[in-house]
Amino acid sequence: MNKSKAEIYLVDDHPLVREWLTNLIHQQPDLIVCGESADAPHALQEITATKPDVAIVDISLKNGSGIELIKSLKAARPDIAVIVLSMHDERLYAERALRAGARGYIMKSETAKKVILAIRQVLAGKIYMSEGLAAIFAEKFVDGRLPASGSLADQLSDRELEVFQLLGKGYETRQVAEMMKVSMKTVQAHCAHIKEKLKLTNAAELLREAVRWQENYPAG
Amino acid sequence: MLQFIKRLEKPSRLIAIAFSCVIVAAIGLVDYLTGYEISFSVFYLLGVALAVWFVGKWFGAFVSVASVAVWVAGDIASGAHFASPLIPIWNALILLTFYLVVVWLLARLRSLHQNLEAQVRERTAALTEEMAERERLERELLEISEREQRRMGQDLHDGLCQHLTGATLAGQVLEEKLAALGLAETADAGKVVEIVEEGINLSRRLAKGLYPVELEADGLMLALEEFAGTSSKLFKVSCRFECDLPVLIHDPATAGHLYRIAQEAVGNAIKHGKAMNILIRLDASEENTELSIKDDGSGLPDPLPPRRGMGLRIMAHRSAMIGGMFQARRDENGGTLVTCAISAKPGSEKSPRE
Repeated sequence: MNKSKAEIYLVDDHPLVREWLTNLIHQQPDLIVCGESADAPHALQEITATKPDVAIVDISLKNGSGIELIKSLKAARPDIAVIVLSMHDERLYAERALRAGARGYIMKSETAKKVILAIRQVLAGKIYMSEGLAAIFAEKFVDGRLPASGSLADQLSDRELEVFQLLGKGYETRQVAEMMKVSMKTVQAHCAHIKEKLKLTNAAELLREAVRWQENYPAG
Repeated sequence: MLQFIKRLEKPSRLIAIAFSCVIVAAIGLVDYLTGYEISFSVFYLLGVALAVWFVGKWFGAFVSVASVAVWVAGDIASGAHFASPLIPIWNALILLTFYLVVVWLLARLRSLHQNLEAQVRERTAALTEEMAERERLERELLEISEREQRRMGQDLHDGLCQHLTGATLAGQVLEEKLAALGLAETADAGKVVEIVEEGINLSRRLAKGLYPVELEADGLMLALEEFAGTSSKLFKVSCRFECDLPVLIHDPATAGHLYRIAQEAVGNAIKHGKAMNILIRLDASEENTELSIKDDGSGLPDPLPPRRGMGLRIMAHRSAMIGGMFQARRDENGGTLVTCAISAKPGSEKSPRE
């Protein structure tokens, strides 16, 4: 099927946002909105049926999280480009969204000026993110704070890897200490080494990295 | 003394009755054996007093009569001679009157004592209830303010901000339409969009202040880190957050209270202590999870001014609500140290560790 206009699907639980986003998109000669939905299950069903080129998804939806929806969408339609539209801070959520498979992240406070630009970029096969976010990612990359996951096991000692895996599985540090039959001080020392080796700045980042690694390499 | 009497009051009336009778009989016997020249009349009061205090005034009167009878009988049996038969009767009546006066006095004393005790009990119960009620109210107040703030924060974030987003989109549509017509007003429409965007950021910041901790378990770590950063920038001080181990707080209310304690402590350090360096720490050990805020300010003044006392009280209340141990004190190295420790095993005693 040869489409003259790129089709866009909207998932957002606020009618006013959907309405005016539709108006804005329809004003563009090369874009059209092919459907919209307020909740995740309905969106997944319709997107699978209508095959749009781009889906614009809000992270907080009435039923279920947008991040989960992105994962399901990518599983059902690997070729779809997802742009996340969120009220949440990009510094906290953008990495999560992009790792889940999104091709763009826009803060809602910047939507009006940036959304059309973002749609065109992802349609061209590029990733869209704000300059601020791109700078943060670039810095992390230069500092080596985005570790190549495969080599992780080589970087950490066996005990450190064990701590890292247990944290990733959602165990509390207290439980980790108990399971490994060591003191909290020892776990703390392991965590300090892991942070140093993986160039993580704090415990929250360590945890996020552990969870992400566990998701990607559950066998470990 | 009162304690002793109370303990005596416990046994049943039957024992008291038996005891009074035995005392009267025993003293009567001693009285008889020692002869009529030595008077033992005052010792019968022991039996009388027992009877009044532990049984009642009528039994007291009965024991009085019995005592007098035993006393007279004992004297006569041990060979007392009287010039006139009226003399022992006269003596007996004097003694009986004396006993009865004692009975009446003791009975009054006892009822007064009992009334007083009942009153004290009543007042204490009322006071305890009042204190519990006050405590409950204070907690309720905190909970309500917390709930209302959260609700307002969420409404701002999910309601107003989204609505404003719709408005920026509508503005953008207008701007593009004006641009297509080649009108000079295009720039104004663009300006409107920018102003509303600023409004979104303002509301988001407001919402963040009202409802700072995201609902995930690692939310407190993220929130405290962000708070330390914002405080540093806003007040031109060094406010750092340190957390060696990932500390997960699964209960959002607990996370919220810990965040507010940190917020209040940092606010105090800057406003009252004129601190330049503040360190917020979140630590986990085998026994507990501890939040601590240390500063290099002027330390807690002694005595505390009322306003600051209130802030500390609220922190202590928040800590109590999540079952924490709260402490705010002058640090050895100067400055103030505020800590809130939550037991790792809530409600359980410290178990012996191998």
